[in-house]
Amino acid sequence: MSAYIPAAQESEIPDPGTLLVEVAERLIVLIHAAGHFYALDDVCTHDGGPLSDGPVAAEQGTLACPRHGAQFDLKTGAAKTMPATKATTCHEVKLENGTLFVRLNAE
Amino acid sequence: MTSTLTRTTTGFTQEAFDDFLATRNEPAWLTELRRNDWAHFLEYPMPSSRDEEWARTDIRPLKLNQFSLPMAPHSETYLSGAESGIDGKGTDVSGSPCLPQTVLAQGVDLGGRTSSLDGYPCASELSKQWAEQGVLFGSLDALVTEHGQRLRPYLERPVVDPTYDKFAALASACWCGGTLLYVPKGVRVEQPFHALSAMSAGPDAKGTDAKGTDAKGTDARGTDANGIDLSRTLVILEEGAEATLLSETASTRETGAGLHCGSTELLIGKGAMLRYVNLQNWNMDAWHFAHQRAVVRQQGTLQWTIGALGSRLAKVNQRVALIEPDAEAQVNGVMFTQGRQHLCYNTHQHHQAPSCHSDLLYKTALQDHSRTVWRGMIQVDPPAQRTNAYQRNDNLMLSRTARSDSIPGLEIEADDVRCTHGSTSGRVDNSQVFYAMSRGYTRQEAIRMIVAGFFQQVFDRISIESVRNALGTAIGQRVREL
Amino acid sequence: MATDLTTDSTDRLLDGSDEINKYNFVTKTKGVFRARKGLDADIVTQISEMKDEPGWMRDYRLDALKIFESKPMPQWGGNIGINFQDIYYYLKPTEGQGRTWDDVPDEIKETFDKLGIPEAERKYLAGVKAQFESEVVYGSLEEDLSKQGVIFTDTDTAVREHSDLLREYFGQIISSSDNKFAALNSAVWSGGSFIYVPPGVKIEFPLQAYFRINAEQMGQFERTLIIVDEGAEVHYVEGCTAPMYSSESLHSAVVEIIVKKNARCRYTTIQNWANNIYNLVTKRAMAYENALMEWIDGNLGSGLTMKYPAVYMMEPGARGEILSIAFASQGQHQDAGAKVVHCAPHTKSRIISKSISKNGGRSSYRGLCKVEDGAVGSKSSVVCDALILDDKSRSDTYPYIEVEEQDVQVEHEASVSRIGEEQLFYLMSRGLTEAEASSMIVSGFIEPLIKELPMEYAIEMNRLIELQMEGSVG
Repeated sequence: MSAYIPAAQESEIPDPGTLLVEVAERLIVLIHAAGHFYALDDVCTHDGGPLSDGPVAAEQGTLACPRHGAQFDLKTGAAKTMPATKATTCHEVKLENGTLFVRLNAE
Repeated sequence: MTSTLTRTTTGFTQEAFDDFLATRNEPAWLTELRRNDWAHFLEYPMPSSRDEEWARTDIRPLKLNQFSLPMAPHSETYLSGAESGIDGKGTDVSGSPCLPQTVLAQGVDLGGRTSSLDGYPCASELSKQWAEQGVLFGSLDALVTEHGQRLRPYLERPVVDPTYDKFAALASACWCGGTLLYVPKGVRVEQPFHALSAMSAGPDAKGTDAKGTDAKGTDARGTDANGIDLSRTLVILEEGAEATLLSETASTRETGAGLHCGSTELLIGKGAMLRYVNLQNWNMDAWHFAHQRAVVRQQGTLQWTIGALGSRLAKVNQRVALIEPDAEAQVNGVMFTQGRQHLCYNTHQHHQAPSCHSDLLYKTALQDHSRTVWRGMIQVDPPAQRTNAYQRNDNLMLSRTARSDSIPGLEIEADDVRCTHGSTSGRVDNSQVFYAMSRGYTRQEAIRMIVAGFFQQVFDRISIESVRNALGTAIGQRVREL
Repeated sequence: MATDLTTDSTDRLLDGSDEINKYNFVTKTKGVFRARKGLDADIVTQISEMKDEPGWMRDYRLDALKIFESKPMPQWGGNIGINFQDIYYYLKPTEGQGRTWDDVPDEIKETFDKLGIPEAERKYLAGVKAQFESEVVYGSLEEDLSKQGVIFTDTDTAVREHSDLLREYFGQIISSSDNKFAALNSAVWSGGSFIYVPPGVKIEFPLQAYFRINAEQMGQFERTLIIVDEGAEVHYVEGCTAPMYSSESLHSAVVEIIVKKNARCRYTTIQNWANNIYNLVTKRAMAYENALMEWIDGNLGSGLTMKYPAVYMMEPGARGEILSIAFASQGQHQDAGAKVVHCAPHTKSRIISKSISKNGGRSSYRGLCKVEDGAVGSKSSVVCDALILDDKSRSDTYPYIEVEEQDVQVEHEASVSRIGEEQLFYLMSRGLTEAEASSMIVSGFIEPLIKELPMEYAIEMNRLIELQMEGSVG
């Protein structure tokens, strides 16, 4: 149902690093890690707060919540460590001519 | 009515504020108050998830610069028809074809009515009978010019703290299109008053990204501006007075952005009695920020009913202060959410004096991906002995993807008290659905009945029939098949 | 770099408070090593070296220290006025572990006598783990338990002797980044219990440990890890007392528990730290399929307690039960509570909280009940009752209820009241003084806790409540 929507320029996100963007009125955190781009809902499933200020661990492929340290898998959104136990929503990203496009997960 | 002006400034800038002041024909003391609060507005940061109060309500998608201060009323042509009289037969009381249908006053014999669109008054009427007894009712904008000296103390010492946060400061600095009800000592008004705050809707943003402006929708003014409503409600009941005010908000279209930032202040004098109904029924693209506070004096009584149906995101602080002995407040909340709505209602029952009674019941039904946050507090100060306080929040989960946060709270500093709170969350009982279906009802009818049953407890407390009916109908229309 | 330490401040015992604390005493301690005051990477490295720890634990501590330094102080709960640089983080009191009761130094035995370790417990001596200052000084595990494969040791020993098992779970339930005080504990932890109960083993009697803070301004940072394997059962009892000191002291523990399929774990705490101690503790259990985790948490002492034992129900049929009792008197703020998180279908939880505020004390219940998306058929009930005994005291209730699922049944109720006059008059008409009558009513109020305690603790608790209630009515 949803299309790829332009969200950011590749050059805006250092590796490793994150960028908070708004895609169709949803807040999405774009992650650049080990040469790849990922997109997750900017929501920690533990306390519902934002993830976008958290540190990226490129080797483990995770983004950690800045408040209580719950780690989320960049590829799937899965919760890897306590205190989170549920995945955060993960979205598809593609890079074309320096522009990052996000396709929102329907859920 | 004056003619339409073209707005030249957008956003909430100093320049826009100066332009806004220039459009107001107000006494100097009021301008001074506004300037003072405007300074606070500029100075205060936007609330963020780091603030405990906002941790569950993410307003980062709100871009204030997409909205503008109300600069000019709508044209007379546009509003033609708005002046028709109270017909007493309970048809559309707004009287204007371009204003949204109102729902609270259906079939009600009104004592007066007032309406505004985007913060500018459309029509105000007060029945002669009450005017003769000294009742003031209508647009706060107009009445403050006429009765400035009488209203000045209330505006200079507001019961909603304008320094509470950025939104409180904005509401206090830029209020526009408010409602005033003033009932003098001993006057008992049996007929309810009705107030409508209407807001136009910006271009339909659906199907575009956040920057998209390609939608063709035109708003009520024929411009592409987003809606704005900065209305302020002030109700003053002097000693022994009685009144009922039915107040509702609505958008001119079902989609399109709007911003409400306002305040409501209810002053209930000694032995006075107010019934106040406040239905928030904006469209699903509107932002709603409201600070509301009632102050009840000795033996005063307040029945306050909140209906929360609309808005994309709402953040409401509803506070009741019982400041003299034997004051009483009943608070009723009816919430129904759907889509991706996020409604956050913070309630506060503040017992400052002995022997007061407060009783709060919030009932919420949640559908789709919606989310509600109800946070309630009963605060009992040391002098408030013999307090009797109650709060309860029940949540009916109509979908697997909805989320409700319920945070009741007690802070008690007196020992001779009875304070209780309760909260429940649950789903529609399937056995009830099957039973109803076995009796020939469709599944949707069955669910509607069960949802109606869920709200019955709070409807039973609402003593105004038209309000019960309006809320019941609105909720019934929203319930989908599960 | 070992320093001789002699502390003798018996004469300062009763300073600063007219509150009755029956554990007001100090025992001379001969420390063999005390790290200097303050907290930095050197201290943390030194602690790790003194303990002869493997490199991974040292790195874990240093990483936690960085997290601690970067985290803000909590902006909720009580007022925490701690100067982290004015605290000793490590003290090693004697050389090595006491192997038998005879090996335990007389001074420490004396402390136990004053503590009144129940006779019943001496009989068992199954697992007295007494943490005097930071290290476990005495431990003996009954042979049959050992034969069944039960491990009950101090966590320092476990790091050396059971490192694979420990490392699998250590910090997995409560990570260093969970909160500021979990980070602090992770950096400087010392002592605590490590328990492993193999599949199907049911330990009939409670395993017990006592903790003490003794040296002035001595932080205590025990670290406990309990693993209850499939179908196993254990009851662990932790009692805390501390001598009174005039300057503030800090206790910040981390307790992690895993309760596997069909297993049961009960963890009982009677917390009676002195009134000048900050008791800031993180306790969390994960319960798997059809497992039961119970926290019984009694908070009587400390100046400020912030402690919210949690149960995460991870798999279908898991259950969590928490009983929390708080008693706050003059100069005390008990910010206690409980958390239950339903992560799987058909999980069940129950929280009962009872709190009493008197003589200017403040007790707060702060809790969470969360039902996550997918936890269909979950049920939770939370009931909080508070008693306020006079008009100087305060009671707060802050329950957080978060429901992300439709098919659930979540109920919360709370009430605050005072002792009913009719009740009081009735008892007084039967010849009791007002104080006696109040004391009896309070005892009845906390009855749900008392009846869950081993008998010798129940007797102690009742005596404690009587002492607390003396002179409170007048």
